[in-house]
Amino acid sequence: MIEPLLETKLYLPKPRSGVVARPRLSERLRRGAESKLTLISAPAGFGKTTLLTEWLASTPKRAVAWLSLDQKDSRPATFWTYLITALQTVAPGVGASALPLLQSADAPIEPVLTIMINELGAMPHDIAIVLDDYHVLESPDVEEGMIFLIENLPSQVHIVIATRADPRLPLARLRARGELVEIRAADLRFSHDEAATYLNTVLGLDLTAANVALLGERTEGWIAALQLAGLSMQGRADVAGFITGFAGNDRYIVDYLVDEVLQRQPDHVRTFLLSTSVLERLNGALCDAVTQRHDSKAMLETLEHGNLFVVPLDDIREWYRYHRLFADVLQAHLLESRPDDIAALHVRASGWYQGNGDLTEAIQHAMAAKDFDRAADLVELAIPVTRRDRQEATLHGWIKSLPADVILVRPVLSVGLAGALLASGEFEGVEARLQDAERWLQPAGTGPSDRASEMVVANEEEFDRLPAAIALYRAASALARGDVIATVSHAQHALDLSPEDDHLPRAAAAGLLGIAYWITGDSRLEAGHRAWAECVAGLYRAGHVADTFGCSLGMADIRRVQGRLGDAMRTYEHALEFAAAHGGPTLRGTADMYVGMSEICRERNDLPAANELLRQSQELGAHLGLPQNAYRSRVAMARVREAEGDPSGALDLINDAERVYRGDFFPNVRPIPAVRARLWVTQGSLGAALGWVREQGLSADDDLSYMREFEHVTLARVLLAQQTAVPDESVLHSATALLQRLLEAAEEGGRTGSAIEILVLQALTQHAVGAVPDALVTLERALALAEPHGYVRVFVDEGAPMASLLRAAAKDGIARTYVRRLQAAFTNTDADSRADQGLIEPLSDRELEVLRLLATDLNGPQIARTLVVSLNTVRTHTKNIYTKLDVNDRRAAIRRATELHLLSR
Amino acid sequence: MSRTPSDGGWDEAGEYEIRLKGHLGSRWSAWFDGLTLTEDSDGTTAIRGSVIDQAALHGLLQKVRDIGLPLVSVTRVDPRHPAVHAIDNRRPQ
Repeated sequence: MIEPLLETKLYLPKPRSGVVARPRLSERLRRGAESKLTLISAPAGFGKTTLLTEWLASTPKRAVAWLSLDQKDSRPATFWTYLITALQTVAPGVGASALPLLQSADAPIEPVLTIMINELGAMPHDIAIVLDDYHVLESPDVEEGMIFLIENLPSQVHIVIATRADPRLPLARLRARGELVEIRAADLRFSHDEAATYLNTVLGLDLTAANVALLGERTEGWIAALQLAGLSMQGRADVAGFITGFAGNDRYIVDYLVDEVLQRQPDHVRTFLLSTSVLERLNGALCDAVTQRHDSKAMLETLEHGNLFVVPLDDIREWYRYHRLFADVLQAHLLESRPDDIAALHVRASGWYQGNGDLTEAIQHAMAAKDFDRAADLVELAIPVTRRDRQEATLHGWIKSLPADVILVRPVLSVGLAGALLASGEFEGVEARLQDAERWLQPAGTGPSDRASEMVVANEEEFDRLPAAIALYRAASALARGDVIATVSHAQHALDLSPEDDHLPRAAAAGLLGIAYWITGDSRLEAGHRAWAECVAGLYRAGHVADTFGCSLGMADIRRVQGRLGDAMRTYEHALEFAAAHGGPTLRGTADMYVGMSEICRERNDLPAANELLRQSQELGAHLGLPQNAYRSRVAMARVREAEGDPSGALDLINDAERVYRGDFFPNVRPIPAVRARLWVTQGSLGAALGWVREQGLSADDDLSYMREFEHVTLARVLLAQQTAVPDESVLHSATALLQRLLEAAEEGGRTGSAIEILVLQALTQHAVGAVPDALVTLERALALAEPHGYVRVFVDEGAPMASLLRAAAKDGIARTYVRRLQAAFTNTDADSRADQGLIEPLSDRELEVLRLLATDLNGPQIARTLVVSLNTVRTHTKNIYTKLDVNDRRAAIRRATELHLLSR
Repeated sequence: MSRTPSDGGWDEAGEYEIRLKGHLGSRWSAWFDGLTLTEDSDGTTAIRGSVIDQAALHGLLQKVRDIGLPLVSVTRVDPRHPAVHAIDNRRPQ
């Protein structure tokens, strides 16, 4: 992370001396500890944190994971990293395997939470998670995760939230279930008795009951105000006069009292308080830098002893912060009394943070000072780290806060912005930013003469990389536009411009080249494979092992298209071996390798192995799959179901796959709707399949390209099915012509994998019209291409017509051993375990699995967790189960399932 | 009813009045980014001024929340769109 993890945020504040005991609230907190959530919701200065620290100190045996939030925690990865780290202070090891997952850019949060929740559930003791200052969170993303956590909270864990605004959590539902205990402003206000105890017993002010009442009325029991009032009255002669004085006006009470307190401080203390009010956190060195004093550490200790709203953030008296309400009022005073000093204070804070290696804080203070040149310098320095840590969104935010003219003279920032835009999928502004930068890179004298200002560069190393970076970003945005030719030329240019040892940009350029060549298909598949191999090598050298999985997927896909199943298998295996050799935790993308291997096993008709690999992939969890694995694994499983004779189960999975589909830079060579259309053809749903053809606007006369090859082969299948149903010469003719053209294109592009399937279809067509000798010649070609790589399903999936054609081949002695193997594969696929469910539409295996879980007392989210799927998926399955069983609720479903003996399956 | 850009969309600037309980001295004008503060005899303060969009308005409300003063009202006072009741009052019976 750019900013170091701050220990002080996890510091459980110690109770202060001189606190009023509040048994009624302690009792409520105690009750709260038995429910899921305690919510302490009240405005600033109502004693929320004090109440919590008091209560926690009174139950010292309780394990408390404390987290003081700040705005930066609105980023989910930061929030959950802190929360897990806080948990580990009381539950060592919890979430340890989840933490590294939060490092990758777009890791889904739910799987991380699932790991954490399961580990928490195994804890032998109770744990309280306290989230202080929850209101500072600005993103609904964190709250989504919080809802998931609360819904699935193990019984020994309890959450306490202290906040100035009610959180966006399902409070009404929790309230209704009795799982929420609330402490609100009305409860926190000091009662008359508490005010009296505080003022007279704790502070020893000896006020009359009438004066206490007057103070109570004026402050309305607002604790911060009473504290300030007490502070102002200590050592004052005319206490009664003071009370009448401030009771008799409408002024904002805290402001009035801070005035009083400040007036009673010596000059140097007052100046110190105002100057340091711009800081979120205080320590001696930082305050020295900001105030230009040399005794800040002692000053902070004095302030703490004087109860001047300084809160220690650790046990060693290093870090402090002001009570936030006090700090806000101090800042208002500073703005009024020394408006011209504020920028200088921030600049000094920025300098201190820069010197201490915290660029994030340094940038924020520079921005607050409106010292944009300084901020821009710092942002330039932070660019390499943001890129390495995939924090492009943060970088984007910083650059957006800078004035346009500052960015314009800084080519490093212009290119940084282009990179951040690309990372967030905003392609439009990219080229303009690159051109802004390029203006400065032209040799002197040839650039535009209207340069009103000079170029500024703070990060020379980044500046030297700009030409290569510009070419690389151009390649990426060309690819996003679908301009393959431009992608290739820019990526090649980026490679030429990058030094040999600058591995990461070289790998990125090679990766883009790989994709571009792949999309081009045809003769460039091999070049694509080569580029990717180079990309993988570069990523290894740069230490980015996890990123190699994506490339391996692409390389294996190319090998499959080329009909080299064995090589594809080895690609997956090598990727796994390399990652294992690298050590460390299991990397994201591992699940994708298993899915790929499963697809090869399926093609080779090793269905048990295919199932086992999918199971392993699922067991690893969604968090170890790339974003596309969600749909890839479902498609793979659908194909296995289909091979097992469960077309409706396959169809469910395909629909589910479509729901979770997420595109990326990879060409979508086997679109899900086409996979589904093929299933429809197999199931005899010709109308639906023809609907797909219309929707896609496909025609047998289309120009052919590798990108649409899968769809065109599917079209041929639809046409052949149509002509089988209603014999029609013209349809037959278009189908055969299409297949012939597809075959020529595939052969020319070296796509043997495609050629095998096309030959199979041709052979079946010839066989169907009675041209047996032709069919056998075609089949023989397909067999010759397929046998060395162990293809089975491409033949067997064709069912009875292929079985009959193979019988003819066997009679002729064609590819004797191979044909015998294929024939044997037919006999093993007829068993249909679903035929005897007694339902019109049988339940799929997955639905049976869900049904069995419905019979337990697990709730929806728990079922989702068990199956490692989303709650929505469970709901879809449940709905389908109800429909198939013809029931309306869970209980009826279980009853019906019991009658049908479905639960014991 | 068709929406026009002037009927207060979330991306539109507008003039607002935020009324708080208690008197906030003029010192707080700077803290509220230069908006005008007016103390009224009923013990409330009106913070009035233009905000660039709804996000800015919510930011302003958070500042109010952070100093702990009770919020009395939030009113849009765009001079181009006088409040409806003002028009009604002038309508002849």
